[in-house]
Amino acid sequence: MSTEQKLQTAEQLLAPWNKETIRPEENRLDVVIQPEALHEAASALHEAKWGYLSAITGMDMGVEAGQLEALYHFCNGPAITSLRVRLPRAGAVVPTIADIIPPATFFEREIKEMFGIKVDGLAVTDHLFLPEDWLPDVYPQRVDFTIEQAKAMEVSHADQMPEPGRVGENTFVVPIGPQHPALKEPGHFSFTVDGEIVTAAKMRLGYAHRGIEKAAESRSWVENLYLFERVCGICSHTHAMAFSMGVEQLAKVEVPARAQAIRELVAGLERVHSHLLWLGVTAHEAGFDTLFMYSWRDRETVMNLLEQITGNRVNYSANVLGGVKCEIGDEQSKAIKEGLTYLETRIRHYLEVVTTDAMFLNRTRGIGTITAPEAERFGLLGPTARASGVARDVRIEAPYGAYVRYPVSLVTETNGDLEARCVVRLKELLVSCFAMRSILDNMPEGPLTARMPRKIPAGETVARVEAPRGELFYYIKSNGGEIPVRVHVRTPSLCNWVSVLEKAVGRQLADVPMLIAGMDPCFSCNDRVVTVVDSRTSENWSWKRLREYGIEYYSR
Amino acid sequence: MNNKPSLWKQTMNKVRTWARMNSIGAIHFNSGSCNGCDIEILATLTPRYDVERFGIKLHGSPRHADVLLVTGPVTRQARERLIRTYEQMPEPKFVISVGACSISGGVFDGCYNVGGSVDEVIPVDVFVPGCPPRPEAIIDGIIQLLGQLQGGAPRPVAKPKMTGEVSS
Repeated sequence: MSTEQKLQTAEQLLAPWNKETIRPEENRLDVVIQPEALHEAASALHEAKWGYLSAITGMDMGVEAGQLEALYHFCNGPAITSLRVRLPRAGAVVPTIADIIPPATFFEREIKEMFGIKVDGLAVTDHLFLPEDWLPDVYPQRVDFTIEQAKAMEVSHADQMPEPGRVGENTFVVPIGPQHPALKEPGHFSFTVDGEIVTAAKMRLGYAHRGIEKAAESRSWVENLYLFERVCGICSHTHAMAFSMGVEQLAKVEVPARAQAIRELVAGLERVHSHLLWLGVTAHEAGFDTLFMYSWRDRETVMNLLEQITGNRVNYSANVLGGVKCEIGDEQSKAIKEGLTYLETRIRHYLEVVTTDAMFLNRTRGIGTITAPEAERFGLLGPTARASGVARDVRIEAPYGAYVRYPVSLVTETNGDLEARCVVRLKELLVSCFAMRSILDNMPEGPLTARMPRKIPAGETVARVEAPRGELFYYIKSNGGEIPVRVHVRTPSLCNWVSVLEKAVGRQLADVPMLIAGMDPCFSCNDRVVTVVDSRTSENWSWKRLREYGIEYYSR
Repeated sequence: MNNKPSLWKQTMNKVRTWARMNSIGAIHFNSGSCNGCDIEILATLTPRYDVERFGIKLHGSPRHADVLLVTGPVTRQARERLIRTYEQMPEPKFVISVGACSISGGVFDGCYNVGGSVDEVIPVDVFVPGCPPRPEAIIDGIIQLLGQLQGGAPRPVAKPKMTGEVSS
């Protein structure tokens, strides 16, 4: 079915509630609906299996307009249908759609705390990103929010962590994080355990929430490119690529073929570095440190190549708006090919290790199994979804940039357990290596950049890129000025969290780090803060008491 | 009264410094970084850079650590945790602030959820600049700290602005 047909189907499905139809871009359909009709409209799309809910973007149209907007983006291949709900600034309420589409929970919590759009029927009402002591009725993404408002807020030193300890006859709460020895975003989990078995799982994000989307609204387009590169240090190139793709679509600038090829090449190298990093961390979680060290040693080959091409190991800034800034010469091409040959042999070796090593298989085979229907229901993305047999890959569904000319083949597995996730990621690397070779052999000639205007024409666009962890979604709006009006980023990890929280329940606590690593946020949760019970009085100590005791003990 | 420590104490101090210099226990805290510095810190531990040859090992618990490696600007929510982690470390403790963001807020300076740099929250001994700093730079930072330790010279320490909140 062509994109146009898909959009027509969506329009027919949404006809009963349709108030206004907008076609902002060729592959997009915006349907304005009343907030009351949202639940029915979303379930119509969902029941007809028209794509999946990719993101919910909130927008503040300004104090004068007195209006907020919530955009529910459904993606089906390259076609995107957005349900546009217009709400008054005071007393904005939408019904929840999390009962039919579970991943919507996180998106709804986000618009609730960022825009103050009340979501009726939302089960969890805690903050998702903002600190617990954030004042109510202060919504950071609204246009009239100022940094001073945040500065004026008292940073309380109250204990924000849930009290660990005995919660029933045999159950304990084990908090994990946010400080942990290995790497990546700090996150806090609390698992209720009955003996060794997890009976409930909760998660708290926001330790690394900096407010990038708001900061983007006060920086120029070029400055923003470097800001978005630093959303994540591991997939920095894909973030910068998604942002520049969006801005180029708005400016209607055609990026030269050579620049697109180099973008895909760097993205391929980044995927290799990211997946090898992930393999090492997962091996570390399983107690298989030898594999950790080996995969990180081989990862240095990619780091060398990235450094040779771009001049930096991490945050390489290969992109500029309208193209790339680094050239691939003969010498580099040769070095990359040599590197790829070495990596391919190593990746084949690791593929053998993860499918044959008995100790590792004990930790991966049949653990955290997610079936294909479950993966669809949770809205999983990237390798986590593909391991369950869900064919979801933006590079194949909606090829962008050079992926039209140098396509990659889809890698899926059917088991859906941790072993399948290892296999999918490693096989994907072989596919990436193959694609990189074909780029190097058939590199188009031409300039590296196209001229970009300083002011980007008014409009709004969606850029989707397959990051190593899954689909990355950027929504960019310009009013024709030198700075964007709104940039919304939906990262793949946010969608994949559900898989951990659902699958941890009923498993042993020891499997939890593996489950978390399996979706590739790579938390290394060795650090646990366990409940301290005073043996003399058998009384549970509060955080405050424990802390005071610690200070007292060490100052003796 | 002679203020000079006894020979026994002097010898013990020498032994302690020698032991400390050869077995640094490090701990890593991400206070809101983009992961760039974090993966470079991890890279310093893995075979290519291998800081274990200097006796440096990453520990899981602050109770076992001598050196705290902090990456990223300090977000409002991570702030309390950073102080807590610092307080949990036994004396003597050292802090290395890794990356541009942890030194000044970097590219995230002025974001609403960013409280500021690391040295505004806890005392910092060594700053390692870069976005992200290369593993060599991180190793250099640690070596500088070791040099300070060996010399026994008073360490230049950044004073946190919010005094009174950190009890050490």
